[in-house]
Amino acid sequence: MLPQLVVSGLAQGVLYALVALSMTMVYRATTVVNFGHGDLVMGGAFVVYVLVVYAHLPYLLGGLLALTILFALGVGIHQGLMRRIMTGPHLAIAMMALAVGYGLRGGARVLWGREVLPFPRIFPDHAWMLGDVVVTSDNLIVSGTVLGLMAVLFVLFNVTRTGRLLQAVFQSQRGAALVGLNVDAVHRVMWGVGAALAALGGVLLAPITLLYPDMGVWVLVRGFAAMTLGGFGTLHGAVLGGLILGVVELVLGAYVSTAFIDISAYVVVIAVLLLRPDGLFGQQVVVRV
Amino acid sequence: MAFCHHTDEAINSAEVNMKTRTGFLTAVGLALLALALGAIPAGADSMQGITDTTIKIGNIGPYTGDASSYSALNYGPLAYFRYVNSQGGVHGRKFEIVAADDACKETTGIAAAKKLIHQDKVFMLLVQPCSGVAMATKPVVVEEGLPWIGVSANPKLTTPTVKNMFHVTYTGVYSGRAMARFALSKPNAKKVILVAHTNDWAKGYCDPATEYMKEHGVEPLMNLALERGSTDATAQSLRIKTANADFVLGCLYEAELAILLRDLHKYGVNVPVIGALGADFESTHKRVNNPAAVKNFYLPYQFKAPMGSPDMKKWEDMFVKFLEKGELPENGVPTNFYYFGLPTAIATVEAFKRAGPQPSREKFIAAMETFKDFDTGVLADKVNVTHDNHVGVQDMYAVGLNEQGKQTVYSAWGKPLL
Amino acid sequence: MPGALPAPVVGRPALGRWVFLLVPLLVLPVPFFVNRYIQYVLNLILVYVLVGVGFNIVIGNLGQLAFANVALFGLGAYASGILVVHAGWPWWTTVIPAGLVGALAGALASLPALRRIRLFYLAIMTMAFGELMRWIYIRAEPLTNGSMGLAVPPPVLLGVRLSSDRSKFYVFLALAVLAVVLTSSLLRSRFGRAFMAIRDNELAAAAVGIPTDRYFILAFAWSGFVVGVGGAMYTALVGHVTPEAFNLLELILHFAVVMVGGLASLAGSVIGAVVLTTTPELFRGFPGVQELVLALLIVGVLLFLPRGLVSLLSLRLPLFRERYYRE
Repeated sequence: MLPQLVVSGLAQGVLYALVALSMTMVYRATTVVNFGHGDLVMGGAFVVYVLVVYAHLPYLLGGLLALTILFALGVGIHQGLMRRIMTGPHLAIAMMALAVGYGLRGGARVLWGREVLPFPRIFPDHAWMLGDVVVTSDNLIVSGTVLGLMAVLFVLFNVTRTGRLLQAVFQSQRGAALVGLNVDAVHRVMWGVGAALAALGGVLLAPITLLYPDMGVWVLVRGFAAMTLGGFGTLHGAVLGGLILGVVELVLGAYVSTAFIDISAYVVVIAVLLLRPDGLFGQQVVVRV
Repeated sequence: MAFCHHTDEAINSAEVNMKTRTGFLTAVGLALLALALGAIPAGADSMQGITDTTIKIGNIGPYTGDASSYSALNYGPLAYFRYVNSQGGVHGRKFEIVAADDACKETTGIAAAKKLIHQDKVFMLLVQPCSGVAMATKPVVVEEGLPWIGVSANPKLTTPTVKNMFHVTYTGVYSGRAMARFALSKPNAKKVILVAHTNDWAKGYCDPATEYMKEHGVEPLMNLALERGSTDATAQSLRIKTANADFVLGCLYEAELAILLRDLHKYGVNVPVIGALGADFESTHKRVNNPAAVKNFYLPYQFKAPMGSPDMKKWEDMFVKFLEKGELPENGVPTNFYYFGLPTAIATVEAFKRAGPQPSREKFIAAMETFKDFDTGVLADKVNVTHDNHVGVQDMYAVGLNEQGKQTVYSAWGKPLL
Repeated sequence: MPGALPAPVVGRPALGRWVFLLVPLLVLPVPFFVNRYIQYVLNLILVYVLVGVGFNIVIGNLGQLAFANVALFGLGAYASGILVVHAGWPWWTTVIPAGLVGALAGALASLPALRRIRLFYLAIMTMAFGELMRWIYIRAEPLTNGSMGLAVPPPVLLGVRLSSDRSKFYVFLALAVLAVVLTSSLLRSRFGRAFMAIRDNELAAAAVGIPTDRYFILAFAWSGFVVGVGGAMYTALVGHVTPEAFNLLELILHFAVVMVGGLASLAGSVIGAVVLTTTPELFRGFPGVQELVLALLIVGVLLFLPRGLVSLLSLRLPLFRERYYRE
């Protein structure tokens, strides 16, 4: 049973990793933890739903358009709302993020009505047996997309010049501003990228589960847990944290009690912050001058 | 950061505090005095909400919030009242329906009930799908004494019998027992596993199901949790597989029920599954989107005929005719929720017919208690209400696919209706 | 920062705050002029006054991103409900115990803060604590009746059944006045000034000899006490305590009461409670828009009145200038 749990857990975990990764990028670039991030995932899922079901676009095109629209929304949230209170108390920023998410949820309900929406099946329904372990095409497509994206991001960050500039902002906003980087532009782009990555989560989730306006809460909590577990603010930590959380949930569910699946994310947050606040892979950010 | 770095200045506040306390004591004294005067008589008018030409009825439900999909239960009755109004109403009176949102939240729900009773001054309250909210407003309804006909599944609302509260739809007890009865009607079904959300909704079905099984000498093998919002049921499926279960009872919402069916199939677990009332048969199928995974899937069925049959089609036509755009589903035909709310309105109209041309609360309640084998035209069972029993219906069927893959209503395992 | 205030007047006349007691005196006769629906909404406002006042101590005055408030509220509500249902205590005797349970949980919630967990770490951890409590309410079935919720009979005060909303109103009003007055005294004492010193510069506060740990515990515990009492009031008002009532949506509501009213302002908490409780009721006639209206209200206040609605008053009336929060 264990190998199956690990495989399925990893398949779940890549989604958590994606959410945690996008939250971490926004956090590192802007020092804002977006409490409304889960609702951006929901937003992405709903936009792709509209594009595919109502506008009859192919899934791939609809997905790309959804990412673009959510990118614009992310930039808009930064420009219209966050930027104007960035100098205020952290509490105001947290409240703003929560209010934006709450508003998105309300908007989704007004626009798309009360029903829980089923999404047409997109991915082929194949299952392969590897010994005792079942792997489905859903698993492979979702994991493949997310891992491919992560590889691209890794290259962007570590090889390209833009990536290095971003890393400079991650290390010290003031320092980056002093050497002439346009920090505000970086914030703007990172909000956009964060929202687009959140939307990708939604686009991938849409064909697998039902869509309802409150799906974001579930996503947000997993994202937090993955971030915390991996070491708040580290990109690779967020990814590993997500994967571990996915496996932990299933293993606890199968061997201890299924009642623990839902609560493991919260327990992880509390335990990690109390016992090892830096997370499993956290490290002091070394500032090179 | 806006937290600036001022040190505080010394404030000598001892004197101020003293004065504050005197003022405070005065306030408390006055408050207690007012409290003593505060007792008010609860004199309610038993004709409240009735004029010569109208009957005002409160339609409570989750029109907003995370449970707003249940508001479909409120729109079915609305359509029926509009239909009756179009036929001239009852004894020359037309129905005036006042909607009030409870957001499926206790505080909002009590406010909704009090607004309907004391501000809109309705004659009675209808529908109220959320059990938790219905339980929270029950003391208000009991105190005010106005008739209540609800669809919320919690049996405690009407058992023990309360003078003015009625169920003409299935409580969780009977639909939970129907799940268990269908499972145990399969020959040699001994190893039964329950998979449920940990909320009041799921408990309302799985607890009576467990009780029914125990009465018939079957102890549930295992209780598994599958939480709302899950996208994976691997752990649950593998445990079911290891246990080699004969039947699975899923007290799950549609999304998670579909995920359980999908994963059971994925891991090659070939076990019959019966879901709980509240999931829709066809949309669960659409959701799973794999005929092989739903071959062994059943749901309790509360209606007298299969969906799409002439008996049910007339109701669908009524919904489409009398509901407006925002009240109908955004896409597709009205779901079973629309039908499930309907009996509350049908029973209300019938009771007003029986209560005569000068209705009052007492006459309405007395009329409700005359229901004997009353056919709502919707439900599987006929409505029977007496002075001591306000739970109108009990028996229901199960729906599944037959050998040919056709949707079939069963009275027991292997026994199709008609 | 936009909307910055002029430096508050130092040494306001001592009579100043006294005037605020006119507010409860003025509302005393109100129940005799309103129907029971309005009365119920007024009672609900009073519950949220305690919620806001308590929450504001930790986030406004101590300046911590601690979001355990819903857990404290729920624990107070359950403590009161359990004592009434299982131990047969009269409701009024459960008010103080509910406060104490809240205080204890508050002190517990300050532990991560003592371990120097701050900002978003603390926010996420305390949110997780709240959700964990909800899971526990569901599982602790013998005590809480699990997800079905605990039905609590109407409260009895000194032998008088408080089933009517009007009689509850006076009890709630007394409790709210008590909470506001005591909290005001606490915040104006050296303890309260220490809270704000910690908020403004924790290192400096420690350097001048303020035992920061002790003050953290004190602030969290008092906050928990006030919110716990609010929980007991919730139980008396609603009569049915369910785990779902204490979810993350409720947290947004609590947070909004403080932020919309005014961070670190007692008058703000009261205003926030009034506005956040009445707004959804005012928009009852337009189902579906409540969430958008609430979101717009919060966003608008954050953008244009960063000091909360109370700043509308405090810009004009020196009386409303509280010295607790400065730009």
